[in-house]
Amino acid sequence: MTLNTEMRVNRITDEVWEIPATEKSGMVVPARIYATQGILQSMDRGVFDQVTNVACMPGITRYALCMPDGHWGYGFPIGGVAAFDLETGVISPGGVGYDVNCGMRLIRTDLTLEDVQPKLERLMTELFRRVPAGVGAGGFVRLNRDAFDAVMTRGARWCIEQGYGWHRDLAHIEEGGCIAGADPSTVSEHAVGRGINQLGTLGSGNHYLEVQVVSNDRVFDPETAAVLGLTGQDQIVVMVHCGSRGFGHQVASDYLKTFEKAMRRYGITVKDQQLACAPFRSPEGQDYFAAMNCAANTAFANRQVITHQIRSAFAQVFDRSAEELGMELVYDVAHNIAKVERYHEGNLLVHRKGATRSFGPGSPDVPRDFQKIGQPVICGGSMETGSYVLVGTDRAVHETFGSTMHGAGRTMSRAQAKKSIRGEQLQQDMKRRGILVKAVSMSGLAEEAGFAYKNISEVVETVDRTGITKKVAELRPIGNIKG
Amino acid sequence: MAHSFQFLDDIALADLAFEAEGDSVEELFCAATGALLETLADPATVAATWERRMEKVSEDPADLLFDWLSDVVYWKDAAGVVFHDAELSVRQEGSTWRLEAVLRGASVDQTMQTLRSDVKGITKHLYDVRQEGSRWYARVVVDV
Repeated sequence: MTLNTEMRVNRITDEVWEIPATEKSGMVVPARIYATQGILQSMDRGVFDQVTNVACMPGITRYALCMPDGHWGYGFPIGGVAAFDLETGVISPGGVGYDVNCGMRLIRTDLTLEDVQPKLERLMTELFRRVPAGVGAGGFVRLNRDAFDAVMTRGARWCIEQGYGWHRDLAHIEEGGCIAGADPSTVSEHAVGRGINQLGTLGSGNHYLEVQVVSNDRVFDPETAAVLGLTGQDQIVVMVHCGSRGFGHQVASDYLKTFEKAMRRYGITVKDQQLACAPFRSPEGQDYFAAMNCAANTAFANRQVITHQIRSAFAQVFDRSAEELGMELVYDVAHNIAKVERYHEGNLLVHRKGATRSFGPGSPDVPRDFQKIGQPVICGGSMETGSYVLVGTDRAVHETFGSTMHGAGRTMSRAQAKKSIRGEQLQQDMKRRGILVKAVSMSGLAEEAGFAYKNISEVVETVDRTGITKKVAELRPIGNIKG
Repeated sequence: MAHSFQFLDDIALADLAFEAEGDSVEELFCAATGALLETLADPATVAATWERRMEKVSEDPADLLFDWLSDVVYWKDAAGVVFHDAELSVRQEGSTWRLEAVLRGASVDQTMQTLRSDVKGITKHLYDVRQEGSRWYARVVVDV
């Protein structure tokens, strides 16, 4: 087996691989990668280098993990998961990602493909108009500083109070859409300046809003799907992928700088500057945790305002209220975050970067509606292929600190993708295949071509076979909005 | 050739990277700024109706460049603008380097401007500023 590393990689099972702690100087724990042999062989060198760098960090517990959609990232690989002891461990923006609480949200409808197809062009135009996307786009919500502070501390709850959504939405958002411990005094004015005008905006890069179809033949677990409100029968759903925008990025940048200096003071060394960190219990560590929670809440609020706009667009196009259209929130889940969670070792700080929480049935953190099926896990594929809904398992809690994949994962650089196809051509090709794309930037569209990503189905099969998540349904795109 | 830049294909899988070079630190700053402005939008399609004057100092030209590029990203979001050009002066004063800049652009307008990637941050990943002979080089990975 040829891999992009010289390190020894031992097979634990067909889908779990381990790099022993003896393979790199300074490793405190082994590194484990969840992947089929094929996916493992396609993983870039960065995955192996970075997951073993993470395994060297102070206070790391059990394993440094990488999910099957893993690829090179800043500090941690994308798909990286690591849990740290609260007393001896660290917190690192490189383990959360620049886009704090980048996440996925899925909204169901009672509409079918037959209902939507004749109005798809109008619907996508209306969504494109109501949900700003692309470089520098500002949102319609005008905030003063006090209101932005409220967004930072109250997240999606603030949105509901302002009329941007339904109270029952909150029960279907990770942490109820509001993480405790957010403290605006730990956030820089620069971060506020970047974020205050961006509520309700998609951004660009790999972020999107997608109208999708759930077909009967792509529902793998009808009973669980029914609990989630997914009926199949060519049902229309809407998926949103975005995060805390410039605000979260500035929080991450600010604290990377703070931590570079703090590490010298605390005598911490890391293998990569992008793994800059501070002891979790230190003043710097606690400040970052509080600021990161501000950004996480802002991301929940961002996706909530976007949901309000999506509901408004559907209501206008179909001339019925969003309630009448059955536009309930299925779930909203973060995939760039650090949280204190309880495992058999005790309370740990779990970093998930491009990885999704995957708690099983009966977990107190799973909403009441989903207690019997486990926490919904929403994974976005490329805009040309499918996306998936899965549910969490007890096995994930035992094996992967309650974590699983988050998407397809790139295999080709943006620069290479742009050289391979022009955005206009891709847009036409996709239209011929029944996917209507509205994009602010044609070069940005080319960067997101399907061939630049792994086959999400193979990634999903890996997590399904290992039992850290169970697949429920595949969602096929018919309309996409990109920045 | 006083300064130039090129985008790098294989350094940042999910993001974008460029290498800039120039005959002096000032020329290097001009090249790197040009690359960043081009990443955000085609400058030829952006008017110069918004302007911001800035001054920054640092003992290290690498830190100064990093902070300057980060400021450009900040103004993109804070003012909701993309950029036409930047007029830069970089000089050494004893042990410090001083940047004086005039950044020009216009509010984002999807109907008039060719918008590209929304750069969200300048990263320290593989970040490198070096002098080889009389020429200065910088490698920058930007998060998009």
